[in-house]
Amino acid sequence: MPNPILIVILIFYLAFTAIGAQASLLLPKTIKVDRAALTAEPPCDPKISPAWREAQVIDGVKIEASPGCNPDNPAWIAAAVKGTNNVSMDTLMKTGLSPDTIIKTDDLDGDGDPDRIIIKLEVMELNGKSPDFPGILPTFDIAPGVQPGAWVFAPKTSGMSTENFESVRANPLLRLPAPVIRVEQGDIVQIILENTHYFPHSIHLHGVDHPFAHKDHGGNDGVPQTSEIELMPGERRVYEFQARQPGTMFYHCHVQTHTHLSMGLAGMIIVEENRPNNWLQTLNIGGGHVRHPSVAIKEKFDQEYDLHYHAMDKELGDIIKKYNDPRLIARDMNQRYDITDSTEDYYTINGLSFPYSLRESLIIVKPDQKIKLRLLNSGGETIAIHTHGHHATITHYDGVEHNPVAQIMRDVFDMAPAQRLDLTLDTTNDGKHSYGEGDWLIHDHREKGITTDGMAEGGSMSSIVYTSYLGEDGLPKTSHFGIDLSNFFTQEYWQRRVPIWQDLDEVASLGSPAGQAISMDITTQNYLLNALYGLAVGLLIYFIFTKREYFKQSAMGAISRVRGDKGSKQS
Amino acid sequence: MIKTIKIACLLSGILILCADATAQSAKSTEHDQHEQHQTHTDEHHDHSGHSMSQESGPASDHLHEHNKDHSTIDKTHEHAIDHSQHSDQSTEHGDLHHHHHMDHDHIMDHEGTMIMGQNLDKLPSSCKSISEEKEITVRAGRKYAAKFPGTMFAFDQQEWRVKPCSKVTFHFINEDQIRHQFMMHGLPKYLYKYGMFHLEVTGPKTVSGTIIVPGSDDTFLVHCDISHHMEKGMKAQLVVGKGGENIPSIPGLTPYNINDIYEAENLPMVSDKAEQSAVVRQITTAFTKSDTQNYLIILIGALVGLLSIPLIKKIMPSKKTEN
Repeated sequence: MPNPILIVILIFYLAFTAIGAQASLLLPKTIKVDRAALTAEPPCDPKISPAWREAQVIDGVKIEASPGCNPDNPAWIAAAVKGTNNVSMDTLMKTGLSPDTIIKTDDLDGDGDPDRIIIKLEVMELNGKSPDFPGILPTFDIAPGVQPGAWVFAPKTSGMSTENFESVRANPLLRLPAPVIRVEQGDIVQIILENTHYFPHSIHLHGVDHPFAHKDHGGNDGVPQTSEIELMPGERRVYEFQARQPGTMFYHCHVQTHTHLSMGLAGMIIVEENRPNNWLQTLNIGGGHVRHPSVAIKEKFDQEYDLHYHAMDKELGDIIKKYNDPRLIARDMNQRYDITDSTEDYYTINGLSFPYSLRESLIIVKPDQKIKLRLLNSGGETIAIHTHGHHATITHYDGVEHNPVAQIMRDVFDMAPAQRLDLTLDTTNDGKHSYGEGDWLIHDHREKGITTDGMAEGGSMSSIVYTSYLGEDGLPKTSHFGIDLSNFFTQEYWQRRVPIWQDLDEVASLGSPAGQAISMDITTQNYLLNALYGLAVGLLIYFIFTKREYFKQSAMGAISRVRGDKGSKQS
Repeated sequence: MIKTIKIACLLSGILILCADATAQSAKSTEHDQHEQHQTHTDEHHDHSGHSMSQESGPASDHLHEHNKDHSTIDKTHEHAIDHSQHSDQSTEHGDLHHHHHMDHDHIMDHEGTMIMGQNLDKLPSSCKSISEEKEITVRAGRKYAAKFPGTMFAFDQQEWRVKPCSKVTFHFINEDQIRHQFMMHGLPKYLYKYGMFHLEVTGPKTVSGTIIVPGSDDTFLVHCDISHHMEKGMKAQLVVGKGGENIPSIPGLTPYNINDIYEAENLPMVSDKAEQSAVVRQITTAFTKSDTQNYLIILIGALVGLLSIPLIKKIMPSKKTEN
C-alpha cells in the first residue's frame, strides 16, 4: 500500500505549508494595485465636443451654455425646439433622429408657436444577449463597465442602433432614461409608440390630463386590463391628449409594469404653461439641464434641471443577458421573477450612476440664482434626496402647485414611487437657502442610494456646483483638496478589485494583503483545502479499516502492557 | 450616356408633374386621404432606374406633390419610395413641411425612408460587364417570424442567390408599422461607403435600391440593425455565385453560435383533463404521484442491489485474500 500513504503525506505537507506561511513572523505584504493595470477612462467622454458646452444659436434656436463635462448635442436641442420637420436638413443630419420624430405644425391659437405636436417613440433594448458572440449589445454603461440589461423609450432614430458597424456601443440616442417630453398646456399632442421591441408594451400618461379613450381606437390610458390590448411587436399606437393643466408628470409602460418600469420604460413628461411664442424643447434627451427653457420658466427662474431618479434590479436585467429566445425571457420575467423577493441594485440619476452622473447631471449654479428643479422617482421604493449646503422650497407635488403661503423648505425630500416634486433652489448665501459657494453633494440619503450593486461611492450621487468650483473640463475642481476621482473612472473599481483606500497614504496601510503561495482566490482555495481534508480523512479511515487487525493487536498489546504495569505497581 | 438619359427622364417627369398640377385630375380615395391629413405626400417618381429625382431640385417638385395623380405617374413599380400603403394612419396629424436629404450615396425623405450606398453604374473591378439585371422583392415583418419559433421579426426569405457581377434591385417591402432595415455588409469599400448598402423604411411602405455585386463568389450578411431585430430573427444572406462562408444564426438556415438552454416545463395539458375511464385515470394519477414514483425507484434500487449480491460476493473474498 505505498500509494495511499504517499498521497496522505503529500496532502499533509501541502496543508502544513499553507498554515506554515501564515505562521511566519510577518503578516503578508501589502500589494498596491498599479494604476497602469486599470482600464481607465477619461473623466469626460472624449467623443463629446467641448464646443457643445457653449451658448449658441442653431437654426434660430437659442441654446443656453451648459458648462458641464458632457452637455447635450446642441443639434438635438435645435431639432427638439423647431421639430424635426422644420429644422434644417444639415442640423437634422447631426442628430441621428428620423425626420418624422418630432412634427410641429399649426398655430391653432395664433400665439406664435405650433400647437399640434407629434412625438414618435420606439422601444429599444440595451445590453441584451447576442446569439452570435459571447457578449451583449448595444452596450450602455451606467458607470464604467456596469451594463445592466435595460429597455427604453427612445426618440425615433434613423440608421444603426450602434455607433457604427465596428462598435457594439449604443447610438447616443439609445440610452437611459426615456427622454423628458415637454409640451405646452393646450397643445394637441400625439405620442406615437412604434413598438420596435420583441415584447408587447404601452404608454400610460401618469398625471397628464388625457381622455380615457381615444376617439378612433379605444384605449388611451395604456392599461391592458382596463382600456386597451397590449401593443404587439411591429405595431404602432397613437396616444392623444390636450392637457388643460400644467405640471411635472410621468409616462411609463403599463404592460407587466412590475418588470417593464424597472427595466427602464419610464420618463418625465412636463406640461408647460401656455405663453405666446413658446417654442418648447419637446425632448430633453438624457434629462438634466434644460438649455432652451419655456417662456414661463424664464419669467421666474435663471435655470431649469430635470432630475429623473430611477432604480433597477440586477437579477431582472440579467434575464435579457441570459437568454436570446423571447419565449424564455418572457417565461423568466413573467412567471419566474418574483419582485417580492427582489432588491434594487442600481440607482441612477438621469440614467447614469456616479461617476458618470458628474458628466451629465451636475447642477451648475452661480450665487443669487433661482433654479427650477423637477424631480421624478421612478424606482420601486421611497427615496430621500438630500441637498448639501441648501434648503430648497417645495413648490409643486405631483405637478400641482402647493398653496404658496404653505410651501415649506427642506433639505431632505422624500419621494414615493412615481412621485414628482418641483423645487426652487435659491443660491442666496443667507445660511438658510445656501451656505455659500462650494461643490455640494446632492444624493439619496438612504445609504444604499449611493451604491452601485452595493459598491460605494456610486448610485444617484451628483453635485450642486458653483461655477467657482467648476474646472475647465466641466467637472468639479477637487484636485486642490488632494482628491483624485480617477479610480472611479475604471472598470476594475466597479468589479470590486481595487482597494478603495490604498492611495490615502504612501505605504498603502489599507491596501490589499498579498495572498498565499498558492495563487488562487479564496473560494477555490477553500474548496480545494476542504476536498483535500476530506480525502485525507477518507484515506485515514480506509487505512485504519484495512489495518484494523494490526491496530487491534497493538491496542491489545498496549492494554496488556498497561495492565502488566499496573499489576507490577500493585504488586 | 446614362446620365444624359437620366436627366432627360427627370425633365420629362417634372413636365408631367406640372401638367398634373394644372389639370387637377381626378384623385384616388387614397390620395384624398393624403391631402386631408397632409401627412403623407407622394414621392416624385422617375423612370430612369432608381436614383430618386430629388437630385434635380426638390423645391420645384414639392409644389406639385399634393396634386399628383397616381394613375399617370405610377406606371411602373420602379419608384424608389412608395407611399400608397399608408391608409391606416389617418388618425395622425401631420406636417406641412417636409424636406429631403440627398448626397450621392444617401437619400432620405421626410418620413425617414432611406437609401444608402446605392450603386447604379459603377462596375466592381472584378467585373468586365454586368452579367444580368435582377429584381428581388424582400418582405419584412413580424408575420414572417411565425415559422421560426423563438424569433420575433424576419424577412420572408433567408437567402437570395445572384450571379457574380449582376445588377440587383431590391424592392424592400416593410409590412409592419414600425421601422425595418435591409442592411448589407461586407461589400467592397471603394464602391460602397463602409462596405454597406442600406434600405430603411417605416411600414407599411416600400423602398427600392440597386447595387452591382462583385465578380467573385461571396456571401454577404443582410440584417435589420434596429436593436435586437437581427438577434430576434431578422437576418439573411445574399449569396453571390457559389457563395462564401455561411453567416451564422440565420433562422432555419444556419445554426446559432450560442444557444439558449431549454428545459421541460410543467405546463397544464388538455390531456390532463381529457375524458378517461375512472380506473385508467386512477392508475395513471397513482403512477404519476411523486410518492409512488419514489417507491418505484426504491424498488428498482433494491432489485439492482439483489442482483449485484453475487458480484459483491466475488469481490469480498478476493479482498480477504489480499488482507
